[in-house]
Amino acid sequence: MIPGIGLVRGLSLTLRRFFQPKATIQWPEVRADVATKFRGRLQLLYDEYGTLKCETCFQCAQACPIECIDMGGMDTKGRFHVHWGAPETYDERREESAMRRAGRPVADAAFTRFGAIDLAPLDAILEAHDYDPKDMLAILEETQAEYGYLPVASLKHISRVTGAWYAMIYGTATYYRHLRFEPPAVDNVPAAGEAHLAAEQAYRSSLGASLGYDQGGAS
Amino acid sequence: MTTLNRAWGNLTLTGKVLLPLLFLLLVAGPILIVLIAQFVAPFLVDLLGANLGIVRFVVAVTGVLLFSIPAAFIIIYMELKVIARMNLRVGPNRIGPAGAAMSVVHGLKVLMKEDFTPTGADHLVFTIAPVIVFLTAVMTFLVIPFGPGLVGQDLNIGLLYLFAVGGMSVVGLLIAGWASTNKYSLLGGLRAAAQVVSYEIPLTLSVVGLILLAGTMSLNQIAGQQAGWFTNWFVFRQPLGALIFFIAATAEANRTPFDLSEADSEIVAGFATEYSGMRFGFLFFAEYVNVFIISALLVTLFFGAWNAPFPFPQVEVALDPGTLGIGLLILIAAAPVVLTLVFAAPIYLIRSSTPAWQALVLGFVLFNVVAIGAVFGIAYAGLDWMAGLVWFMGKSFAFVFVFVWMRATFPRVRIDQLMGFAWKWLLPAALLNLFVTAAAIVVVDTLKAG
Repeated sequence: MIPGIGLVRGLSLTLRRFFQPKATIQWPEVRADVATKFRGRLQLLYDEYGTLKCETCFQCAQACPIECIDMGGMDTKGRFHVHWGAPETYDERREESAMRRAGRPVADAAFTRFGAIDLAPLDAILEAHDYDPKDMLAILEETQAEYGYLPVASLKHISRVTGAWYAMIYGTATYYRHLRFEPPAVDNVPAAGEAHLAAEQAYRSSLGASLGYDQGGAS
Repeated sequence: MTTLNRAWGNLTLTGKVLLPLLFLLLVAGPILIVLIAQFVAPFLVDLLGANLGIVRFVVAVTGVLLFSIPAAFIIIYMELKVIARMNLRVGPNRIGPAGAAMSVVHGLKVLMKEDFTPTGADHLVFTIAPVIVFLTAVMTFLVIPFGPGLVGQDLNIGLLYLFAVGGMSVVGLLIAGWASTNKYSLLGGLRAAAQVVSYEIPLTLSVVGLILLAGTMSLNQIAGQQAGWFTNWFVFRQPLGALIFFIAATAEANRTPFDLSEADSEIVAGFATEYSGMRFGFLFFAEYVNVFIISALLVTLFFGAWNAPFPFPQVEVALDPGTLGIGLLILIAAAPVVLTLVFAAPIYLIRSSTPAWQALVLGFVLFNVVAIGAVFGIAYAGLDWMAGLVWFMGKSFAFVFVFVWMRATFPRVRIDQLMGFAWKWLLPAALLNLFVTAAAIVVVDTLKAG
């Protein structure tokens, strides 16, 4: 080894650094492009012997803004089992809102199972339109003509087959007044109250006579 | 009279103050100047001419004091900026263009701080210590040749004077540590003194070989001997001497890696612990002046002083401005207007969205740039000392950059390593350099004679 080569190498390193692009971000004029909810990535580090560096100090769990860190372990002397937090906080953190904030799966109380339908006619319609979401209005109209309304199952099926988002299909369907999501109100089908209808008819005709014109059929 | 009174009464208070001042400026001033030029000036010129030595000294001292301030400011700024860039930072960039006013603001900050003297401190000595440290730094400027003829005092023992005055800074450091009545300051002072005294010896011995070669101790003559091609520089005849001088001067100026007398991260500035306000500022200031001085000395002794690295083809200024007579005056009067318009015209014509006034402002700025460049160019070509000054400053600041670069790179040495290096390596190497140089001179002289 040449004596003093280390000095030269150090000098050359700093000289190269002198010309390299700088790491400083000129806050507040320039801001790093970071999502506002970004909190960094949690990662446990290992030392050079491969041992976990975490000392179970709980500082991270204490500071966690969304209380998603749940940790336990041995203390640094290996004597006690330690765990973060008082017992009452656990119930709080199992609450639905806390689970949702922590990004865990939460049961959707508003979910209702939709009834199954026969998808064969729908598949025929979609086949005719070549599964093209651009023909969405026509597909929806024909589906309604087929089933009488747009069942949730049909929209889900259209979404899955055409690749269009369910929300977009639903939005399209809600935009047009002639598309409906429920079966039309049942007219003309005499149900249990037959006598009641007859009475109403009689009342209407009497009313029409008094007003000088015929009201016509039931609306 | 009444008219005059009424006019006077109509004036506001500001006007009543300004009007007499205006009168003084416009009427009394010129009369006074003429009178002084007529009667006092000949006497004054005779007086100054009779005491040319004193005049020269006063001018030199004023110039040196005035020069040391911007030099230190530039070096402080350079240190902030260069080290920042080497750390992949940007450095100061808020105050002034690219943070250039940072060192001025540092100075103002130091000025505004409380000037504190500890209880029980030796007041007089405590006060005078920073003055000594600063003065020893500034006094060395007196013999440094900044260019041909640009030397405060061309002493024939210039080099000896340099080491004598430079050695006095030890006194300043020591009494600064002593007068603080603080054991840590005292230890810091002793430490600094030990370091500076130890490195004084190889520093002085390293240039003895050069003195043997040059045959003179006048810095001006040493500079003159290195004229011509850069192979004439003493660094090629005294490489070991140059290296020893470089290392010892680094230690002498308390720079990294030998800055442990005031290692800011370890012993809280050592001897300067109890200092605050402008007294601390002076210690701080002296350090940066010292950086410039060791760079200037390196350049003067080993790197060709104010000589260009190769003989320039002499460029004759084609037209002597003196021959133009009254035409010169007209040129000076007309050039700004004409050139501003000339520079503004293309900007205005090419970009139709530029308003006329913006084009004119840009043209004026361009004219100024060109004019300043032209003035410097003419001065460089026409004036020897200007060319010398440019080269000297360029080389000196290149070495200042090297010192800053070293500060950004090297770790600090330990005190025993520092002392061991000085006594076990630098001193024998300096002696070896001296003996080899002396032997070579004897051999060459014998061969020439024989």
